[in-house]
Amino acid sequence: MKRILSILAGAAVAVVPAMAAAQQQGVTADTIKIGAYGPITGPAAYIGLAGRDGMNLAIKEINAAGGINGRKITVVFEDDAHSPTRALAAVKKLVEQDQVFAIMSVAGSNATVGTIDYVRDKGAVMYVSIASAPPVTWPFARNLFRGGTTETARYGELYAEYLATNAKNKRIAIMHGREEYPRNEGDATVDKLKNWFQIDPVARVEFNINDKDFTSQLIQVQKANPDVIAFFGNPAEAAIAMRQARELGIKQPFFVGSNMVDPSLVTAARANAEGVTGFSLIPFLPGANSPEMKQWEANWRKEYPNAPAGRPNNFDLLAYGDMHVLAEGMRRAGKNLTTDSLIKGLEGIKDYRVGPVATPRTFSDKHHIGNLTLVPMQVKGGSWEPVQWQSKRQSDILSRYK
Amino acid sequence: MTATLAFQLAIAGISVGSIYALVALAVVIPFKASGVLNFGQGEMVTAGAYIALVLTTLALPYAVVFLLVVLVGAIGGIVIERALIRPIIRAPEFTVVIATFAIGLLIKGAIQLRFGDSPAAIDGPFGMDPLLVAGLRFNPTSVWIFVCMLLVTFAVIAFFKYTRLGKAMRAVSINAEAARLMGIRVESVWRWAWGISTAIGAVAGLLVAPVIGVNPEIGTLILRGLVAAVIGGFTSVPGAIIGGLAVGLIETFSGVIVGSTFKNLVPFIILMLLLVFRPYGLFGVAVAKRV
Amino acid sequence: MFSRQTIIAFIALVLLAALGLYVGTYTIYLLNLAMIAVIAAVGLNLLTGNSGQISLSHSSFMAIGAYVSALLSARYGVPFWAAIPTAAAVAALIGAALGFPASRLHGIYLALATLGFLQIVQIVIEEFADITGGVRGMRVPKPAWFGAMLLNEYEIFLVVAVSCVFAVWSATNILASSYGRDMNAVRLSPHAAQALGVAVARVKLGAFALSAVYAGVAGGLLAMVVGFIDPIEFGVSAALRQITYIVVGGMGSVAGSVIGAVVLSGLPEVLRPVREYSDVIYTGILLAFLLFMPHGLVSIWDAARLSLRRALARSFAK
Repeated sequence: MKRILSILAGAAVAVVPAMAAAQQQGVTADTIKIGAYGPITGPAAYIGLAGRDGMNLAIKEINAAGGINGRKITVVFEDDAHSPTRALAAVKKLVEQDQVFAIMSVAGSNATVGTIDYVRDKGAVMYVSIASAPPVTWPFARNLFRGGTTETARYGELYAEYLATNAKNKRIAIMHGREEYPRNEGDATVDKLKNWFQIDPVARVEFNINDKDFTSQLIQVQKANPDVIAFFGNPAEAAIAMRQARELGIKQPFFVGSNMVDPSLVTAARANAEGVTGFSLIPFLPGANSPEMKQWEANWRKEYPNAPAGRPNNFDLLAYGDMHVLAEGMRRAGKNLTTDSLIKGLEGIKDYRVGPVATPRTFSDKHHIGNLTLVPMQVKGGSWEPVQWQSKRQSDILSRYK
Repeated sequence: MTATLAFQLAIAGISVGSIYALVALAVVIPFKASGVLNFGQGEMVTAGAYIALVLTTLALPYAVVFLLVVLVGAIGGIVIERALIRPIIRAPEFTVVIATFAIGLLIKGAIQLRFGDSPAAIDGPFGMDPLLVAGLRFNPTSVWIFVCMLLVTFAVIAFFKYTRLGKAMRAVSINAEAARLMGIRVESVWRWAWGISTAIGAVAGLLVAPVIGVNPEIGTLILRGLVAAVIGGFTSVPGAIIGGLAVGLIETFSGVIVGSTFKNLVPFIILMLLLVFRPYGLFGVAVAKRV
Repeated sequence: MFSRQTIIAFIALVLLAALGLYVGTYTIYLLNLAMIAVIAAVGLNLLTGNSGQISLSHSSFMAIGAYVSALLSARYGVPFWAAIPTAAAVAALIGAALGFPASRLHGIYLALATLGFLQIVQIVIEEFADITGGVRGMRVPKPAWFGAMLLNEYEIFLVVAVSCVFAVWSATNILASSYGRDMNAVRLSPHAAQALGVAVARVKLGAFALSAVYAGVAGGLLAMVVGFIDPIEFGVSAALRQITYIVVGGMGSVAGSVIGAVVLSGLPEVLRPVREYSDVIYTGILLAFLLFMPHGLVSIWDAARLSLRRALARSFAK
């Protein structure tokens, strides 16, 4: 028993937090210290590794250009291993031990949601780049912002409008996975198809994570004879389903959820990916035939010469664009940088983007949903290319923020 | 359910079932020989798929890739057995079980660090266009997997029946100490049992890569492979094959019959029921406990 | 009079309570997580280290504890001091139900049965999303004494500390009792234990139920401390993490559970410079201990104490 005691006491070496400075936490005469977290180990490491690297590239550019009103940005990054428990530890550490000024989340949805109550209480700004979880923006909190990704309901609006109006599809089949994200996409799309266009899907089937066979679902879809198959899941699943669909003689085109509008779908499904459409959160994907994109990729590769295959990916670009938005908010906050002036700075941002590789962000004092713009894309010649299409309907999303 | 649908589902079930059967086989062989259940076998499948991916990008012919995968898989298993399993073979079963888990996780971790998480793909040896036979559609790679699975099975059965090493393996599986007294080199039997099983695992990876893609999560196949092995009773080679095909068929048909909500539960409920009521499976025999 | 264990437990509690007053909420949170890990490890060690049964589903009993207590407080406003014990009781019942067939299995068959059970619990949480929140997880209301009287950070810390000290104290006493001796006998030789009149099946089943109680409490506390739970938190990697606690600390030893859980909970802090590799390092540590130090860190201490005693005895003998 005695040894237990000494170990318990010894493990808990008291870390007395530094006294809160009189001025804004994390801001000195020439530096701004921000915190960031995301999964760089565990099942979602591809999100956090990319988010971290994209963010760091942006910070490097910002500092090289002289920083923000004379201050350089420094960043403390914490791993959350895709666990809400670890994410809360990370954010507590960033706020209390590292004394950061603001927090950037490049984490998944559950990890981000795990930190929200605490961040709300503490009042520091948390800018969420990748997580699409609803509690970030509703109920409204003054210190929480959502950047590049958008509300799940917005996916539903755009998917439904595109499916129903662009190709004049009347018979729409929906296949979706049972995890949170694809299920939400499926629900939102079905909802808007019904409310806006009075279309009921001709078939709706579900599958499980890590399924290796989609024959029974595809046969149901085939029987319904749809004009288009909307598939929500992940690229590995989509690759199998698309191959099996062709094998079963299903010739109809596929439409995929935004997380699959990514070069990895083409790597996984190859020839079967040709002609697939979907919406992207960014205007160009890595590997696209655009000079701006090629320039950006070259900059990225200079910074990370030993990156594994499949990088940079969409998350690099999302976090890159969002770090520039957060920096723009700080710039607009002026020399007297406080949490309050940062919130006002961010809320003044309208259609701002760092360059053609990002979508524009808009915030107001009523809502903190930065992005309602998604770009329709299609796989042509093995890479995702933008499709000319404009949404004509007013979004319903902002109606509740009055 | 129409006959065509039933046939098409049966084809799909046998296709995935063949994969499960190979994994089950790879689990059963070292268990028979040394009483060690390799929970890391799923990661040998993943490793096989990645080795195939790397070799394919070098534009080597399929036969060469196939042989190299067998070779690397076998060497990997022999090294793991000698370095990590042999020292703890007499430790409590808990130690061995957890060690095999840990070895699998290390392999997966190394793959993730080297290749990241994004999926990749390789082509099957006979292209990807479906074969049309009597109105039914067959994926040529799935047919190839099924054929390979049968060939491997017959090879393994023949090996146990007719070769010196195979007979020695059976003797060791019945009673290692008695076998040792009879002059059988038990260590050598363990080594080859591991080498053969990891080679089968790696080949499974090479075979399934064109069908399910290449990504670090391939190893989750082990769960279905284990259910298959339990159905087969863990000591029977034909049992493992029948178990694998049964799990594949149960999965595809239960998706249609009970809906996808319970499709995932079905294999594990079967696993639990079998363990409770027939712990030595439908084809296995009760073996004396390794002391 | 109070036993030595009880007095030490009181002192430990007073010291922990005092410590909690001096550290910031981040440190308190880390201490909470470490103490919850200790409770879970103590329970697993009784099952695996003492009664010798492999379990790959200890984290599932944490999940049961977490979800039952969270649902009780979210849906019915049950205060934590009733919700967590109820959740632990539910975990114990399910533990006994699993222990019933498990008591007939051994070795890999038991490993498989518990692995199957873990999968079933995961799938049930994911599939019944209307109740559990499914994969997207579930927010847990802030814990309350009564109605709207919420606990503050320090009070939550005290609840966890009391639970942790009680878990360690109770496990120490269980092991010193005749039931504890029966558990060890069942591990060392089920046949000999049977011959000596130990009801082997009952001891095994009891160990399953008992370990589920510890896991259930740990899960309930985790839900309360974090305020958000999702199924991934209780998956197979969590089960292996708990196994690593007892392997690294020392199998069959309460002190080992405590050391393993505390050291490994603090490990992410140490591994920060190489964090991309931390998963691999963690697994490497597990494997290294299995191979080279099967009795865990506690064996260093035991060996040191033994040699110290010998040295002292020798110097006195002179």
